[in-house]
Amino acid sequence: MKKLYTLSKHVCVVLLLLSSMSSYAQKTITGKVIDYRTNEALIGVNILIVGTTTGTISDADGNFVLEGVKSTDLIESSYIGYETRQELVGERSKIDFIMSEGVTIQEVVVTALGIKKDSRRIGVAIQSVDGAATTKAREPNAINALAGKVAGLTIGAQPELLRKPNISLRGNTDILFVVDGVPVNSDTWNINPDDIETYSVLKGASASALYGFRGKNGAILVTTKRGSKDKRGFQIDFNSSTMVDNGFIALPKVQDEYGPGDHGKYAFVDGKGGGLNDGDYDGGWGPKFDGQPIPQYDSPVDPATGIRQGTPYVARGKDNLTRFLEPGVLSTNNIALASSGDKYNFRISGSNTYQKGLVPNTKLNIVNFNMVTDYAFSSKLKFSSGLQYNRQNSPNYPDINYGPNSIIYNMIFWGAADWNIDDMKNYWQPGKEGIQQVYAEYQRYNNPYFMSYEWLRSHHKTDVIGQASMTYDIAPFMDVMVRTQVTTWDLLRTEKMPYSAGSYGRDERRGDYREDRRSLFENNTDILVRFDKDLIKGLNSKIWAGGNVRSFNYSSEFGTTDYLNVPGLYNFNNSSNPVRLANFKSDMSVYSGYYSADFTLKNLITLSTTGRVDKLSTLPAGNNTFFYPSVSLASSFTDYLPMPSFISYGKVRASYANVKDGLTQSSIGATPVSSYPIGYGEQYFSPYDGPTYQNSAVYSIVTNYNNQPSAVFTNQLNNPNLEPSSTSQTELGIDLKFLDNRIGFDATYFISNEGPKIFALPVSSTSGYTSALVNGIKTQKKGVELSLSGTPILDPNGFSWNFLANWSTYQEKLTEIYPGVESLNNFFKVGDRVDKFYGRAFVRNPEGQIINDASGRPIYAPVAQHLGNINPDFVFGINNRLSYKTVSLSFQFDGRIGGVISNYVQKQTFRGGRHIATVEGEYGEARYQDYLGVKSYVGEGVQISNETSLNFDANGLVTNYGALTYKPNDTKQFLQDWVSRYYNSDEGNLMSRSFGMLREVVVGYTLPQRWFGKSIQNVGISFVGRNLLYFAEKKDIDLNQYISGGSSDVQTPSTRRYGVNINFNF
Amino acid sequence: MEEEAINAGAETVNPYSALGKFFRAFFYDQMTKRVGDLPLNDALKGVENFEPAYNSQKEIYVQILKWLEESNDEIATLVNKGNNNVAGDIYFGGDLAKWQKVVNAFHLRILTTLSSKESDPDLNVKGRFAAIISNSGKYPLMQGLGDNLEFVSNAFNKYPSNPDNFGFDATRQNMSAAYIDRLKERQDPRLFVTSEPAGSELKAGKPASDFAAYHGASSGEDLADMSFKAGTSNGTFAPGSYSFQNRNRYYTNYEGEATFIVGYPEMCFNIAEGIHRGWAAGSAQNWYENGIKASFEFYGIKDGANTFTYSKTGGKNASDFASFNYNFNLNGSYLTQANVKYTADVKGLEQILTQKYLAFFMNSGMEAYFNWRRTGFPKFYVGVGTGNSERIALRWQYPFSERTTNQANYESSIMAQYGGKDDINDKIWLLK
Repeated sequence: MKKLYTLSKHVCVVLLLLSSMSSYAQKTITGKVIDYRTNEALIGVNILIVGTTTGTISDADGNFVLEGVKSTDLIESSYIGYETRQELVGERSKIDFIMSEGVTIQEVVVTALGIKKDSRRIGVAIQSVDGAATTKAREPNAINALAGKVAGLTIGAQPELLRKPNISLRGNTDILFVVDGVPVNSDTWNINPDDIETYSVLKGASASALYGFRGKNGAILVTTKRGSKDKRGFQIDFNSSTMVDNGFIALPKVQDEYGPGDHGKYAFVDGKGGGLNDGDYDGGWGPKFDGQPIPQYDSPVDPATGIRQGTPYVARGKDNLTRFLEPGVLSTNNIALASSGDKYNFRISGSNTYQKGLVPNTKLNIVNFNMVTDYAFSSKLKFSSGLQYNRQNSPNYPDINYGPNSIIYNMIFWGAADWNIDDMKNYWQPGKEGIQQVYAEYQRYNNPYFMSYEWLRSHHKTDVIGQASMTYDIAPFMDVMVRTQVTTWDLLRTEKMPYSAGSYGRDERRGDYREDRRSLFENNTDILVRFDKDLIKGLNSKIWAGGNVRSFNYSSEFGTTDYLNVPGLYNFNNSSNPVRLANFKSDMSVYSGYYSADFTLKNLITLSTTGRVDKLSTLPAGNNTFFYPSVSLASSFTDYLPMPSFISYGKVRASYANVKDGLTQSSIGATPVSSYPIGYGEQYFSPYDGPTYQNSAVYSIVTNYNNQPSAVFTNQLNNPNLEPSSTSQTELGIDLKFLDNRIGFDATYFISNEGPKIFALPVSSTSGYTSALVNGIKTQKKGVELSLSGTPILDPNGFSWNFLANWSTYQEKLTEIYPGVESLNNFFKVGDRVDKFYGRAFVRNPEGQIINDASGRPIYAPVAQHLGNINPDFVFGINNRLSYKTVSLSFQFDGRIGGVISNYVQKQTFRGGRHIATVEGEYGEARYQDYLGVKSYVGEGVQISNETSLNFDANGLVTNYGALTYKPNDTKQFLQDWVSRYYNSDEGNLMSRSFGMLREVVVGYTLPQRWFGKSIQNVGISFVGRNLLYFAEKKDIDLNQYISGGSSDVQTPSTRRYGVNINFNF
Repeated sequence: MEEEAINAGAETVNPYSALGKFFRAFFYDQMTKRVGDLPLNDALKGVENFEPAYNSQKEIYVQILKWLEESNDEIATLVNKGNNNVAGDIYFGGDLAKWQKVVNAFHLRILTTLSSKESDPDLNVKGRFAAIISNSGKYPLMQGLGDNLEFVSNAFNKYPSNPDNFGFDATRQNMSAAYIDRLKERQDPRLFVTSEPAGSELKAGKPASDFAAYHGASSGEDLADMSFKAGTSNGTFAPGSYSFQNRNRYYTNYEGEATFIVGYPEMCFNIAEGIHRGWAAGSAQNWYENGIKASFEFYGIKDGANTFTYSKTGGKNASDFASFNYNFNLNGSYLTQANVKYTADVKGLEQILTQKYLAFFMNSGMEAYFNWRRTGFPKFYVGVGTGNSERIALRWQYPFSERTTNQANYESSIMAQYGGKDDINDKIWLLK
């Protein structure tokens, strides 16, 4: 017995040793698959080792046996109609899958560098979005479609053709985009939703610290689809959507009772100031449309006297804008072929997105081609690759920006109702084709159809992103990967400005041609060693270590003519004055080393640390190498603490990270080292992520006199001791699941201490400089993000209901400026919110009444005043999916609540006399008196009654209230002049930023399989709608895109979008 | 500029250093006249001093006068050596002798600016004035309009009123009564060159040669009323009941007229004013009349028949224009009328400043305002349209940035000058 005992002791030791190795040894896993709701066995469920082709299916009792499994493997169970589940094998030899219909219990999460981790072990805030969630009710831009889907991620959805959505993640705007583990250079238009398996949003610095300075503001990771899980080994997917943009949700309402002019007077002579208010006019302050004879742009000219005769003055142009705009179209088609075999994954996908804008003759075509090839040369050596080609092509996109270059400016703000849009379709003057447009005014504005069909702006961009990697298993617990990736693009934008078109600085109206060419090439090459081993029993370590070399090259050229000699010949040779050219080139290298180490003690706790060192060529030597640490803890306390039965899962997490960056910028304009030579319209900012050269003292060259070059030295003092900017973020979170995982709740609280940043400290201009580049400014952000998800009702044969609700908020305050500096930009002091909005305000008496001057119009405070805060109090999104058998309804309602904005559209439509309110109520009566030449409007508020001057202090506050007495304002004024004063302020146009939106509705129906036989499967048809309802204080603007800044801007009216989606596979 | 010249191998005294002193003097004057005290000794030192202390306005003017003396001396040295090496000089093509005249004419402007401090021994206004006008060898002065420091517009740097922006400005920028009324009082034909007759008067049958056909608006008028009156309909005649800028002179090409920066007429009036104030011996009347003659010359008005062009319709095309003749006699009638004739009493000072004001039309920056602020001549109009509780401001506030970037020095300077307020209605030292 004693011998046996000794032997068994030895065996035990050997077994112990073996068991510590066992996770790398192959083993057999058994298990059973059961339906979550009915508890019955599921038959024919696919069981697969993720990333391999090894798999099996469950038998008639729901049981399966899977061989050749390692403890580091993920096993996936998938079943049509059910949510796919994944489990990390770990120490287990038996894994049961509980599968449910339509419930997402995300267990595996993609983290930085594409590392998939068991969510139990993650100590940072990451939220995932299934790629399929964005492929039915489509947006032309994939990122627009993420609005409301992630707590803490604010998407300022951008309705304008080719404009980038405004993105804010915890208040940071420059978000890194990563495809399959490697950062890419993205304008957001080169992301194709059909190829995306999941979006994974790394919300904080601790989640993205591994990406170094580029990940400072968080990251959106995209995992592309690879191969097929179909048991035939291949599948072909087809997805097609056709949608129409029609029906306005935000549209300025205008009056069509009064025409253009000033104080009720107008007569056309030459449309350039030669007549009575016939040039650069306001579209609505002219005479009333009463059919009276007034000389107009198309009135006949008496050949004898040369004098233009009057013709009846009527509202020919009622509803010009809505008659001009056309329904938009969005059509997307994707076909993807995927195949998987013993040794390979293969997927090839082609997409076309066609978008027709609301403005006539504007469109965008995006062709996307994606190919993924994985091949296992042996069980140890594996190859993986991906290639994406994306071509954006627009023969003409609209310029929205304020100015005569913008059709919206011409029509909404200053256009008039005295001309008929239909008469503008023949836009050349007879006998002056190609030289002179027809319009009702020739000094400032332009004919909308002429702009649409002759003033053309093209955009052509080709993006290629490719990566290839080789992975070699050195040992069962260790492998090494070498990966190289290229992200590169070329851009050409052109603008053809025809003869007789005018805009700011182009008043000679002799046409122009411009080219904007840019190209970017970036290579990232990594070597990564991965180690995954139980150091001792119960203590698992997962260690990744790697190095990265990033090489970056960018160059650009911008050229423009200075008027044309020959009309219509758009070529630099045809420039009337010397051509203006600007060029730019930049290079950068970044050398990095990084590691990620996770230590998991049994099932108790996981400690993750990451570190990265970057050496940047943009910063001064000595300060150009920096280290970013992060550390996080996660503990799934339900694994070891007794809990009430309704709590099925609980995890607490905490993390800290410090990240840095310096002298790089996320986007770049057309002429980075000189001022943009065009005085109007939009300067395109492309994605960049390269050096700013901000710390170089240089001359900039300008042509000040007679086109002679002259040099101007920088006003900014450079700094050889500049250090990288720094952000430290601390995060606490809890994830809970209740009632057998039916209800989930995630909460995160973060504190982000940002700075000292690199910033241009304003210095006294008497020093000879206006700013100095220093390390300074600290702010602190505090925020909360909540998600509630669940499946309150689940019946695969009946009715089911899933929901996801997101809620987030944050505030950022100034905590420090610079030693000895007490306020920033005149207004901001330490302790202030950084989103305070200062704008033009009225002077009010201590009772809050507006003080008017002797003309009966409000007096503006001489200094901008605090009118409110910009950021919302909170952002929310609610997603619901209801299904009954093969019919489903899903919808999303989201919005932002709180904050103020100065309504720019309201301001300009009032100033131009077009706002509908100017013909309604008291305004309407007073305006008619204006037309009769009688002052009649008495504005609100008081006047000073004791002949005493108002005195102000340096902050624009009245200093002598005590000396003032008041009387009610009793001075009658023209409504035009009162409106022009009152509404030319921010206070007069202030409105709530709160809005809510029925963002998307999808009604889906899966057609019966028997209709299609065997060859075609899963045929789904969906009726889809986007932006169907919009709720806001005023609906002349769409608030979606304005996530920062105190004022709104020019915008094309927003519409609903609805259509049909069809998808199937075969 | 000076540093780059030295770097490029120039000697210590070189054209850039000489002109640099003038530019410093010019811009310091422009700045201190607006706000008051400014950093001087500690200023422009870059990283060595981000928070320069302020010097008093008096100290600044002492330094300006010193710079101007040095600039004059250095230019004299360089001119003697024949060193005219100024590249890219858009004003005089590198002719330093012309710059020297500008420096001295500007010197006279500074001394005139200091009129209320004429007895200050540190400034020595009278002594300097006398030295400059009595020693043309050491202080060459401008001889005529050809010596003006002036900006000449061209197809790239278009005159601010030009055919491109006719529809923006010409129909909105009506003339001011402060200018029109002074010309009308004097039967001054410069009115016919710079201004249009009011359309309402043409409609009423007045000829364009009738001074009564011209109307300016009070700058104190409510802008609602002003724009209403400027836009009334007169049928086929030009709109409005106010005069506008002359379309023929200002809106038919890109060159417009030369814009004086430091002009010969002003120099003449400054000398006249100094002599009038008794700073030196000489004939105030001669210099006063020289200034008037130079201004008439600038507008091309000669003795005898003159043809003037106006726009009947308010437009700027050839068919809109008409012309009329007007006989002018400078010595015989213009200079002898009571409103013009120089007298040695206080009325003479008003005559000098009024003629200087008329010669400043559309040129010399804000000098017309600064002269009014200093002397009260000629009369400006105020009202609700003036804003600022119907007061014309007397100074500019310091730049906003100074409050935060140089707070301690700013605050102590504001305390010393204005009792702690930075108010546009307070007087700078120069006016006290």
